[in-house]
Amino acid sequence: MNVLARAPPAPPPPAHGALPWAGQPAGPAPPPPAAPSRAPSPLAALRLPLRLAWRQLRFEKARLFSAIAGVMFASVLVFMQLGFRSALFDSATALLAAFRADIFLMHPMTLVSFRPETMPRARASQALALPEVQAAVPVYLAQATWRSPENGSRRPIQIIGFDLEAGVMDFPGLAPLIERLKRPDSMAFDLRSRPEFGDIARLLHERGPFDAQVGNRHMEVVGLIEIGPSFGADGNVVMSELNFRRAVKERAASAIDLVAIRLLPGADPQAAKRRLAEALPGDVMVLTQPELVAWERRYWEDATPIGFIFMFGSLMGLVVGMVIVYQILFSDIASHLREYATLKAMGYSNGYLGRVVLSAALILAVLGFLPGFAASTLLYDVVGKGTFLPLAMDTERALGVFAMIFAMCAAAGLLAMRKLRDANPADMF
Amino acid sequence: MADAPVALRDVTYAYGKGELARPVLRDVDISVGPGEIVLLTGPSGSGKTTLLTLIGALRAMQQGSAVVLGQELMGATERQRVALRRRIGFIFQQHNLLGFLTARQNVAMALELDGATGERARLARAGEILGAVGLGDRGESRPDQLSGGQRQRVAVARALAGAPGLILADEPTAALDRQTGGEVVRLLRGLAKGRGVPILMVTHDPRILDIADRIVAMEDGRILPSEGAAGAPRPLPPFRR
Repeated sequence: MNVLARAPPAPPPPAHGALPWAGQPAGPAPPPPAAPSRAPSPLAALRLPLRLAWRQLRFEKARLFSAIAGVMFASVLVFMQLGFRSALFDSATALLAAFRADIFLMHPMTLVSFRPETMPRARASQALALPEVQAAVPVYLAQATWRSPENGSRRPIQIIGFDLEAGVMDFPGLAPLIERLKRPDSMAFDLRSRPEFGDIARLLHERGPFDAQVGNRHMEVVGLIEIGPSFGADGNVVMSELNFRRAVKERAASAIDLVAIRLLPGADPQAAKRRLAEALPGDVMVLTQPELVAWERRYWEDATPIGFIFMFGSLMGLVVGMVIVYQILFSDIASHLREYATLKAMGYSNGYLGRVVLSAALILAVLGFLPGFAASTLLYDVVGKGTFLPLAMDTERALGVFAMIFAMCAAAGLLAMRKLRDANPADMF
Repeated sequence: MADAPVALRDVTYAYGKGELARPVLRDVDISVGPGEIVLLTGPSGSGKTTLLTLIGALRAMQQGSAVVLGQELMGATERQRVALRRRIGFIFQQHNLLGFLTARQNVAMALELDGATGERARLARAGEILGAVGLGDRGESRPDQLSGGQRQRVAVARALAGAPGLILADEPTAALDRQTGGEVVRLLRGLAKGRGVPILMVTHDPRILDIADRIVAMEDGRILPSEGAAGAPRPLPPFRR
């Protein structure tokens, strides 16, 4: 019982005499009134859990970085998948999007522009019957083989033939070439075609106009235009109607693939479209340019697994990211069960602790997304240059991906919150 | 008796259901008066800890009546129990401090649920209480930078910070050596007496029985009628007044 001999430890140093309750000898002091328990303001009810979550995340750097890396990985994966998807759809419709006309006529059986059903050339003339139609230009589309002037290899290329002087179809670089393209057997090559067709730009620069083989015919490359490769065609050449007939002999002049219509300035395209549809027989479909692009895109989305593949890839990215975030949050809770239980014993509600876990998830979403966004922007640039796909970061996609990452982390947080139930303060004693 | 901080009558509690039900508390009557320090002793399995968790509103009541700080716990909702816990200071065997917070932030956690105080006031108050437990200069240390005794003193400060109406402690010296354990409970006693806060403490530790106003012994889920624990310095009957 020598413990009894020990002097009771001196309560606080005299400097703390200001404390009303400290340093007083034990006496019949009345119990303090219950602390005035006012509910924290709604802002504090969100801010304090957020701060607690941040302090906890910050404390274990390795865990924080692996979580950030996980979210970043998911962001990059989703960005790349969505980027490829949209780039492939954009490139699939690059040719149609490059056309400059208000309204198009197309055979209703045409599923996709590189395999068109032909329609009578007379439809172009009939369209002119409408007073608001300024010009209606028949367009011929065909695929032929192109022999590379560099190594002789042959690949399919898209040939586009139309009346160059009608001024309805316009590609960048075309206008100054029109005079030269009037010469027999001349053509303009798409600068953005894939490099397998040969380095035409360099050859043109070194030799001036030179002969290349298209189909079974030698034609002269006189200049460069810009369209861009698409799914159906790795490259494009543009030529006059007449030269098209020379290159594609089997095609009857009366069978055309597309009519590009320019309206008089100020005409309402929707009204004109309706009137054209009424005036023309059922073997043509009347479309505005966005509708034409959408038609083409629908083919690639519905008739090919491309859309599904990339959506599936995005989903996998999100699932992997969610599992990583869930693991991190779960192990954070599991290894701090005693502390969480203590907080519950101190009067912290399940809801408060749930907000801590959700806050941690959302902090991870933001911290992982930002580097993921930066890395994806960089990758878009590098990969876009490597694959000739039009990959570019746009605000809409960035916001969309952020929403997905946010939802992913929130879902992981909600799953991890279930572990909080195991933090039972009754088991603490 | 009506204003006793803790007043239990005929409390019976069993784990399990139906035929497998294993009673751990049988008709327990116990009360703790204002400012009173009561030690609860008894062999393991005697139901001390269950009793403590019931009084601490950590467990739902099954039978009987328990009024703690004016709140009847029989049939109390989860919300009422959570609210009551905020008015009770808990001290556990382990310190259970949050490892990623400093000592001062840990103590301030006890104040964050009260919307009446701002962040500065909370930290200032936490600092004062750390001073009172003799750790005024260790406020910015994390728990892993403190010794076992210091951590338990931070836990004491945390339990006291919210100006609780009752302190419940479960073998607060179990993880400490003899000397530090003694220091911590005497510190706790001194602070609680100064504020008039009653303490109900479960302990096996014979060396700290001297701090009690009264010692209650339990066995087999019942309170022993006599004051049991031989050698207690100031044994008092189980029911004062």
